Formats: sequence, C-alpha cells, structure tokens
Amino acid sequence: MPDSESSILQGTLDLMVLKTLEHLGPLHGYGIARRIEQVGERALIVNQGTVYLCLVRLVQKKWIKAAWGVSDNNRKAKFYSLTKAGRKQLQAETENWERVAGVMGRVLHPQTGS
Amino acid sequence: MLAFFNTIAARIRGFLRPGDSESDFDQEMAVHLEMAEEDALRRGLSVEEARRAARVQLGGVTQLRESWRAAWGLPWLDGFALDAKLGLRMLRRSWGLTLAGGLAMTIVITIAAVVFVFLDQFMGRTAPPLDQGERVVALQSWDAEAHRRREVSRGDLERWGTTLQSVEDLGGFQTIERRVIVDGRPAEWVRVAEISASGFRLARVQPLLGRWIADADEHVAAAPVVVIGYDVWQSRFASDRAVIGHTVRLGEIIHTVVGVMPEGFAFPVNHRYWIPLRADPLGSLKPAPEGVVFARLASGVSLDGAQAELTTVGLLPPATAPPRGDARRPRVVPYTFAFTDDVERGELAWQQRIIVSLVSLLLVPPCLNIAILIYARTVTRQEEFAARFALGASRGRIVVQLCVEVLVLSSAAGAAALILARPILGQIGEIIRRIPELDGALPFWVDFGFSWRAALFVAGLSVLAALIAGLLPALQATGRVLPTALRSLGSRTGIPLGATWTALIVAQVGLALAALPSAMELAWGNLRPAVLGPGFPAREFLTARLSVNPQSVPFDSRVGQLQAEVVRRIDAEFGASAVTFAAALPGAEPLTFVEMEEAVVGGPRVRRYVRANQVDRAFFKVFDVSALAGRTFDGRDFSAAATAVVDQTFVRQVIGGGHAIGRRVRPVPAPGSEAGPWYEIVGIVHDRPANTSQGRLYVPARPGSRAAASPSQLVLHAGPDPAAMARRLQEIGTNLDPALRLETVRRLDEVYGEAQMSSNLTSYALVIVTLSVLVLSAAGLYALMSFTVARRRREIGIRTALGARPGRLLASIFARALWQIAGGVVVGVTIALVLHRRLNIEVEGGWHIPGILPAAALFIMAIGLLSAAGPARRAVRVDPTEALRDG
Repeated sequence: MPDSESSILQGTLDLMVLKTLEHLGPLHGYGIARRIEQVGERALIVNQGTVYLCLVRLVQKKWIKAAWGVSDNNRKAKFYSLTKAGRKQLQAETENWERVAGVMGRVLHPQTGS
Repeated sequence: MLAFFNTIAARIRGFLRPGDSESDFDQEMAVHLEMAEEDALRRGLSVEEARRAARVQLGGVTQLRESWRAAWGLPWLDGFALDAKLGLRMLRRSWGLTLAGGLAMTIVITIAAVVFVFLDQFMGRTAPPLDQGERVVALQSWDAEAHRRREVSRGDLERWGTTLQSVEDLGGFQTIERRVIVDGRPAEWVRVAEISASGFRLARVQPLLGRWIADADEHVAAAPVVVIGYDVWQSRFASDRAVIGHTVRLGEIIHTVVGVMPEGFAFPVNHRYWIPLRADPLGSLKPAPEGVVFARLASGVSLDGAQAELTTVGLLPPATAPPRGDARRPRVVPYTFAFTDDVERGELAWQQRIIVSLVSLLLVPPCLNIAILIYARTVTRQEEFAARFALGASRGRIVVQLCVEVLVLSSAAGAAALILARPILGQIGEIIRRIPELDGALPFWVDFGFSWRAALFVAGLSVLAALIAGLLPALQATGRVLPTALRSLGSRTGIPLGATWTALIVAQVGLALAALPSAMELAWGNLRPAVLGPGFPAREFLTARLSVNPQSVPFDSRVGQLQAEVVRRIDAEFGASAVTFAAALPGAEPLTFVEMEEAVVGGPRVRRYVRANQVDRAFFKVFDVSALAGRTFDGRDFSAAATAVVDQTFVRQVIGGGHAIGRRVRPVPAPGSEAGPWYEIVGIVHDRPANTSQGRLYVPARPGSRAAASPSQLVLHAGPDPAAMARRLQEIGTNLDPALRLETVRRLDEVYGEAQMSSNLTSYALVIVTLSVLVLSAAGLYALMSFTVARRRREIGIRTALGARPGRLLASIFARALWQIAGGVVVGVTIALVLHRRLNIEVEGGWHIPGILPAAALFIMAIGLLSAAGPARRAVRVDPTEALRDG
C-alpha cells in the first residue's frame, strides 16, 4: 500500500458513519459507503463491505437503527438512521476528535501554534 | 457501558436466531450490488464490467459473510457448542468409558458436594434466613489466650445495649430446660429460650397470633408470659385460634400464652418456646449454643466498624480477678459463626478451605484413571487430529476440543452429583437431628436444599475434573502425536507410547491396590455390627437417659439420693437383676486413649484407643456376661479399690493376647493435667456388643457421683415383650422428682440401628468408591491391551504368517503391559504396607482382615489378566493377509 494512502481506524469509521447519517438523514448502506468515498476523495481506502460491519456494530450499540424502506429508484433497501443515543455519542466523539486533532496539529506544526 | 451491554444483548439475540441476520445480510448485499452496478452502468461501463466493479468495490462476500456472522453471534460459544456436540457423540461411542468414568466422577463429586454443603451450613458461612440476615451479628467475650468463648455478664449485656451506636436491637438469650405441662397432660421436657424482647424486633417476623414478648415482660415483677411456636400450637393446642390467654406450666411457674409464631420460626436456634429474659444484674449468658448476645448492624455500619466501637466500650472487669490477668476481648462475629467451635474467624475459613481442598483432591485418582482412557482413545484418533492440524487448527484449539469433550462427561457427573447429594444430606440431617442437645430439630438456618453456592462449587469441580482428565492426555497426545501422525498420515505405523503412559498405568494399579485393603477393612469394620449382629438379643432391652437438672440439684449427695430412689422404684417394679446404670450405652462408649503399665520395668508402654465405660454392679448380670477369666465387679470394686474389667478385643488389641489379669491400665492424661489412678484388671469378659472394632474397658461407677448420674444411661432387660414395659418406664419417668429426667425410652436394637446409619453410609461410600476405582483400573488396562494389539496388528500378522506360536506371540505382545501391571502391584503393596503401619485401621472403625493384602494383589492381577483376555483373543485371531493388506 502506498504511503500516501491511509487506512482508517475502526473508531474513525464509526464517527464518519454517524456524521454522514446526521448530515444526510436516513440512508442505505450503499449510500453511506459512496458518501464516505466521495468525502474522502479516495485518500481514505474503505472497502465498501467494511461499512456494513461498522453498521452492525453501531446497530448493536443502539447508536443507529435500521428499517427496511424504499429507495429513490423504487428499490427495497435497508435504511439506517441516527438514534438519540447515537446523536449524543456523535457529539462526544466529535469533541474528542477535535481535541485530539488540535493537539496533534500543535505537535506536528509547533510554529503555527499559539 | 450501556453500549457494551446492548452489544452483548444483540449478540445473544443473534446467536439464538441466526437465520434472521443471515437472510438480512443476503438481501442487503443483493441490493448493494444492484445499486453499485447501476452506478457503474451510468458511468459508461459495460454490464460485465459493471458487475465486476461492483463486486471488487464491495470486497470478498464470503469473507464479509463470515465477519458478519461473527459480529452477530458468540463465536467462542459456537465453537464450544460444536465441541460439546462432538463430546456427546464420543460419549455415545465410547460407552464403556462413559459408564466407568462417569460413575467414578459422580461418586467423588457427590462426596465433595456433600462435604461442601455440610461445612457451608455448619461452619458459620450461612447468613440466617431473616430479613437482611447477613447484618445480624453476635457479640462475644473471647478469651484470646485460652482460645475460648466465655460467658457474657448481664452487666455487659445491659451496658452494650445502652452504649453501642453501631448496632441496634441488641439483646440476649439462653436456653433452659423445663418440664412443660399443658392442660394436665403428661409432662415433657422441652428447651425454652429465655430471650430479650429485642430478639423479636431483630428477627422481624410478625406473630401468627397475639404478640411478641414486650420490653415490659422483662421486669422481675411482670406476669410470666410465653410465646409458642407453630408446632407447639398445632400439637398441644390443636391449632386453637383462641389460644391467647391460655396457660402453660413451665417447670414450677404458670405462664400465659401471649403469642404464636408462624411456621418455620425458630430464632434464636431451634426453639419453640420463648419466655422473657428477666433482668438479673449478677447473672451471665453462657457462650453459644446455650446462649448468645445478638444484635443487628446499624444502617451503614460494617462488621469492622461495630468491632471498633465494641473494642472501645470493652468488657466489665470479672468478679474475681483471674490469676494470669484478664485475656478476654469483646468481639463481633456473624450470627451463625457464633455457633461454631472455639475458633478465630480466619482460622475457621482456613480449616474449611483445607477440608474442601482435600476432599476435592479425591478427584485426582479417578480423573487420572479417566485420563488414561482418554489418552488411549485420543491416540486412536490420531488421524482425525492430524487432519484438523493440517487444515489449520492450532494445537490449542485441539486441546480445547478434547477438554470440552471431557467437560461434557464431568458436567453430566456434576448434575448427577447435585441430584444424589440431596437425599444423602437428608440422611445426614436425620442423624444430626438425633443428637440429644438438638432436641430433634436442626438450627433454623441449616438448609440442605439446593443452593447456588453448592451448584457453583460442583460446576467448579466439573471443570477441574475436565482439566485433570482432559488436559494431560490432550497435551500429551497433541504434543507427541501430531507431528508423528502428520508424517504417517495414510500409513499405519504406530504412535509410540511414552513414559507418561507407563507412569499412569503403574500409578493407577498402585493406587487401586494401595487403597483396596484399607477401604475393605474400613467398610467391613463399619458393616460388621449390622451383618453379624450384637451377639445378644438387643431387642429385649430398653434404654432411657437419666439426667439430673443441676440448677435444681446443686449438691452431689442429693444426686446420689435421687438416683438411689429411681433404682429403688425400678427394682420394685421390674426386679433387681433387670436394670443397670452406666455412663454410656454399650456400643456407644466414648473413645478413650489408654496406656498399659509396663510389663517389665523399662519395657515399652503400650498406648491405644479403646472404648471406656463406667458401669454399676448389675451391668454384667443384666447383659448376661460371665467372666472368661478373673471376675466381674462385686462390692469390693465400688469402695476405694481402682479396678477394671476388660473384654476379649481389649486383650487382643492392647495386650496382644497375653496375660491380662493383674496388669494395670489408665487413661492417658491430657498435656498439663495430672494423671489419674491406675486400674488393675480383675476380669476378662465377652465382647458386649460383639463385632465392633474397639476393645472395651469397664470401670466401676460410684453411685451418686455427678459423673455417673448426670446424664447416665439406664438399661432394662425387658424380656420378649418390651413394648408394655416401655410404657410403664415412661410413666415412672413422668412421675419422678421434677429435678430428674427419664427420657428417650427406646429399645436397644433401635439405638443400634440408628447408630448404624452413619456407619452404613460410610461403608456404602467406601464400597462404591473402591468399586469405581476397580472398574476404572480394569477399563484402563483393557484400553492399554486393546491399544497394544491395534498398534501391532501388522507385526502380529507377519509373525503369524511366519508361523509364530500363539503363546510366544502373546508373551511378546503383552510383556510390556504385564510388566506395567507388576510394577503397579509392587508400588501398591509398598504403599499399602506403609499405610497399614501408619494407619491403625481398628481405631478408625475398621476391622483387620487377615491376608487382605495378598488377596487384593492377586485380585488386581486377575483383573489385569481378565482385561487382557479380550484383546489377547483378538491378537491371536488376526488374519495375516488382512493385516498385511491394511498396513
């Protein structure tokens, strides 16, 4: 694997899925996978199947819920949506991520730090 | 944390309904691929390219499905279930191993479970079944130097009650014995709890009728009241709901019934009558079980907190200063712990752990036997394991599989043990209930029913058994067999049997042989009285316990007068030669350590346990025992002379069959105490009862001495119809002086029958354990022989084809196995000889069986040869052409 491409941590993928669902509302697995690919601009290598394992984990934790519905193309699909607990988790993880990212930024670029 | 539990719950749901998530997965993947293909088509790819791109982007579906399954289920449980299923299949296939191994494990786990429950119930580990029973405590006066519980003065009880903040509902009780008379019906002696009113508040059990004892009832001037138990209400008042206000005479005092407690209530121990504990500043409460100071820990206070406060408050100084200073310390202990022995808390826990560990160690011999069988079976399954190894299963995985297979067997044994333990504990409960001090009822917290602690203990033992019986052969087989088996897959070359195998066979034959003679001697010693009988018509004799209430009769001289009065009345009724008094019933005498005076000055002094009894002059006449040598007791012996009569077994065991008359014997003095007088043996009599294990020493009882009279046993030769006599004896007992008690009138054969119950239990346990060890040994040897034949089938075929004689063939095949059996026999005989020297089997209740050791050795060898017979027959019948073709 080239060095420029990075694999993503499990927790990071969870956060991305939660954020996607908050941003776009209820969405099927394929939609979530495509959205992450687009936002990541191919810098993040995500095997689409991995998204489904992430979805299973989040459903089990009751951070998201799943229900069968009908897609735009009139196709039966399973839609995932954020739960109340998921929303709280997303908020907590976002704050945590921003704090870590801030610290990492200051560590890696000390001259730009305050 | 919530997310974690949600995940676990979801996984369990997925594990229980695997089909749901599978079909969801298939549907979702199909939709995903369709959407991805449509996207790709829109990007201008051909149908084929779109389909391929969709699959590449998704990743391997098979791998994804596996990960999905793992995420939705409990993968380790899946593996466990599969191993358990395999284990069940193996149990069905190897039914011999299942029967022999399962039986042995069941027996040992049952014994361990019984011991565990017994200790749990009687060693202070159980909280009393009261509301928040774990917070109920006892306050004691503990003599740290003498290691004894001491009396608690009533002064301390009052002071603690008013001072201590860390406990509430503090009070005390003491058990007294009173003759109870209701509505002029025959009197009966009962145990009555004199108890503080706070005892009822502490127990928090509402009365069925009326009220509890109130604080006002404790005043000296208050009218005497009694609260009665449910059983008493039923049996003596015919469940009369208007019982409140009726009177009951307890001793000399008339009490008014003020309350009836509900069924099952027996606080503080096993009481059915409760009267108020009257204020008595100069009195004291005896230590448990006769009395206890009880309390409930105040809200939020721990045992240590209460102890800290009690230590600060302390004890009042004793009325008379002890010569070596006051070593008493107040201590707080859990309530039921107060009723155990004179021990520190940690000490008792250690004793309990040691006993349970030792009992659990009983698992080792049968499990080692089973390990041998499992190993033999494992080696024959080498190809299965080799194939799994080749397909990627780790050694650890195969070891786990083998252990789970054994766990299936040991779990079944554990379940059977839990079922079997209940009736056995019921029997033990019956035996304990007959202890006179318990008055027919166990302490209210003793419950031999199902308990989670016992179930957990049994589960732990099952796992331990599986580890002992499964781990060793699994490690041995996978360590040695797999690489060899991998190389030899497809061929029939054998797997070598190493030193472990030899050691196991030698150990199991040795252990079986070492244990066999002692076990048989113990079992026979315990069963002899039941099988051979007491040697005289015990059913013609009536026994009764005669005791004097020391509170009513403070002077020894008065005791003598009362006893003489009893004898006079019984003599007048039944004839002078029909009744005798003794300190103990014949057959139930206490074990006493005695020593013989040296036969020659400076010679060895023989010391031995015998059964000692104090008897009156009529004893030998009533039991129709004549002197074999010397004489029985006469008038001379009841004055100053210290004389003794011994029985035949005494002469054989203690004197070695030599000349006994004129020799002197005495009880070995306890360390630090003065030696008693020497008793000169003046006569030798027949064993009465016969067929028991220990010899007997009779010394004369001085009539009227406290030792002889309180309590002593009365035996009446009632002739062929003892029933009528029993009724008359009971009437005499009822009309005696109130200070005297003549109770538990029973036939002597019934007494023997009850005493035999525990001996029978011991014997049956011994016989079953020994039989299971023998069956296992036979199965182990059979497995060894079968395995030897299977391994050398090809060689046997070639040698038969070359014209080898069957005899020589067998000798060469079984030489090793026979050497192993012989080695085991040598080891077993050595251990048995050491055991025989160290363990005095007759003291333990056994009976020496002449020639038992060589007989056992021959028996074990015969079992070995019989086990070899089947495989040997198979060996000589091996068809050379078939053997060569298979190889």
